[in-house]
Amino acid sequence: MRSLFKPETAVIKGIKAQTPDTATYTLAFADAKKQSDYSFRPGQFNMLTILGIGEAPISISSPVDERLTFDHTIRRVGNLTKAMSSLQEGDTVGIRGPYGNGWPVEEMRGKNILLIAGGIGLAPLRPVIQQVARHRRDFGSLEILYGARTPADGMFSDEYAGWRGVSDTKLWLTVDQVPDGNRWDHDVGLVTDLVEDRMESKPQNTVVVMCGPEIMMKFVVKALLARGFKPGQIYVSLERRMECGVAKCGHCQMGPIYVCKDGPVFNYAEIKDLPEEVL
Amino acid sequence: MEHKVISRENLGKWLDTITREYDLIAPTLDDDVVLFKEVKSAARVLLDYNNTVLPAKDHFFPQTETVFRFKASAGQLAIEPEPPLARPRVLFGVRPCDLKSITLLDHVFDGDFQDGQYLDKRARTVLVGLGCNSPQPTCFCGSFGIEPGSSPAADLFFTEMEGGYLVNIQSEKGKEALQKGWSFFADPDAGQVKEASERAANAKKALKLSVDPKGVKEELDHFFESPYWDEISPKCLTCGICTYICPTCHCFDINDTSGQAGERFRCWDSCMFTDFTRMAGGHNPRPTKKERVRQRFLHKLRYFPDRYKEYACVGCGRCLQKCPVHMDITQIISDVKGGKLQNAAK
Repeated sequence: MRSLFKPETAVIKGIKAQTPDTATYTLAFADAKKQSDYSFRPGQFNMLTILGIGEAPISISSPVDERLTFDHTIRRVGNLTKAMSSLQEGDTVGIRGPYGNGWPVEEMRGKNILLIAGGIGLAPLRPVIQQVARHRRDFGSLEILYGARTPADGMFSDEYAGWRGVSDTKLWLTVDQVPDGNRWDHDVGLVTDLVEDRMESKPQNTVVVMCGPEIMMKFVVKALLARGFKPGQIYVSLERRMECGVAKCGHCQMGPIYVCKDGPVFNYAEIKDLPEEVL
Repeated sequence: MEHKVISRENLGKWLDTITREYDLIAPTLDDDVVLFKEVKSAARVLLDYNNTVLPAKDHFFPQTETVFRFKASAGQLAIEPEPPLARPRVLFGVRPCDLKSITLLDHVFDGDFQDGQYLDKRARTVLVGLGCNSPQPTCFCGSFGIEPGSSPAADLFFTEMEGGYLVNIQSEKGKEALQKGWSFFADPDAGQVKEASERAANAKKALKLSVDPKGVKEELDHFFESPYWDEISPKCLTCGICTYICPTCHCFDINDTSGQAGERFRCWDSCMFTDFTRMAGGHNPRPTKKERVRQRFLHKLRYFPDRYKEYACVGCGRCLQKCPVHMDITQIISDVKGGKLQNAAK
């Protein structure tokens, strides 16, 4: 009998601190064949297990064509993620997935990409940036707007220079506040401010991909619509409590939609009138 | 359809016979509570009852079930999945409302991601229906197109008659179970078939409670926001009893026992509970009773039909009986039909 909920063993191959409360874990399935057969789309997630603690949905933050390992960038917020932070290289975790739909990469081909993220929301978008960088000619311009709480809370900060080096790519950074003594050469304010003050992207031939706190996305969507973007060209990745990841347990229901299976990426036109407490 | 008849006395003998090869689950009466339980002898089977307190779903989607057992180990995770059922089962005495509900749960647990544990139990269980002769005042299965005296969802369907039962053989799986004690059954005469169909027709007539759900989903499509939800939700205690006794409610949690060795289990959860939608960071998209009460009724009457083209209510009436504050889904359906949500919205 095949169990829908049995995780596969994955080994932590590397841990890289991102911010004081966030780290990127590089994983590989213990079974080499499982690893070589494993593929995912940018924006999909895995259910990550620590036995005796539980499971949590975590987006995959590495490029899709990296086949030897995959990354999860994890912030310590709940039971599982706190337990995760005590694990070390060589320790094992359980993985089942990938689940969810992922970003509309096919639709993005040949289009300009406006990528907007807040906080840990950059994690599921990192595979998009990496895909554009690795297959540059498949896409139009790339503009990234990213906001974090403080300079120390910026994810993947050692990769910004590399992203800026990708041709026809712009990166705008902002933080909510700069604690005394921190150096910060970028903007201070909300991501919405970047949309208003910095953003160069125009609605024509552009796909917007966005992930961050819902309150941020709500206001960014408003700002984009005010600038002529249409709901149908905006994609957002949503977060809900999940237990099963496969549209059965009921927790992530948002109106008729299951965020785990029908999402987590949604076209804003499809959810804007959704009768649930969203955006 | 093939029919057989069996006397009350022989029914006990057949049930005892099948326990040699099947696990027998049937309605039982213990401490004044009627529940489906595994029984070793037909003497334990309760034949005259209205309905069980918990629906039959408990035997496909148990209130708590082990998903797998684990041990701490270096390297590979030491996980031992639950074995499939050791023996096939006969689930005897299921009412048509509960039979229908199982087909609704099939939509959820089958499909793109097949739930092996549910489907194993489903495939290896012979569903034996038992027609209702005297529906309760809270029964309204007929409102959802369910006949109290018949059900296509059963493998075998029994209708009580003078001195015994008429049996409809509705699947090969059912016939196989019948054949374990074939000699206890006889061929019916025309009068017996007629008597059974009359009993079924009378049961249908005896349904007193009725609502018309036609168009309710379409109406609810427009009334996610309505003061109506503010009006009806305050009295709800969010105790969750409606979700536990509901034959179509299927939300669950997956949890681990803590420690170095233990099990991952799944257990029923309830959208009535505050924590149901609370995320790790603390954000809760359904923070108050209003959102939770609304979610339960919209799930039954709007979202489930959106996804699976059927209402997720079978009119068993358990929630009407057990809700401590008399939240009444038939009243809500009537209110929707009567334009009360629309009026409240004005």
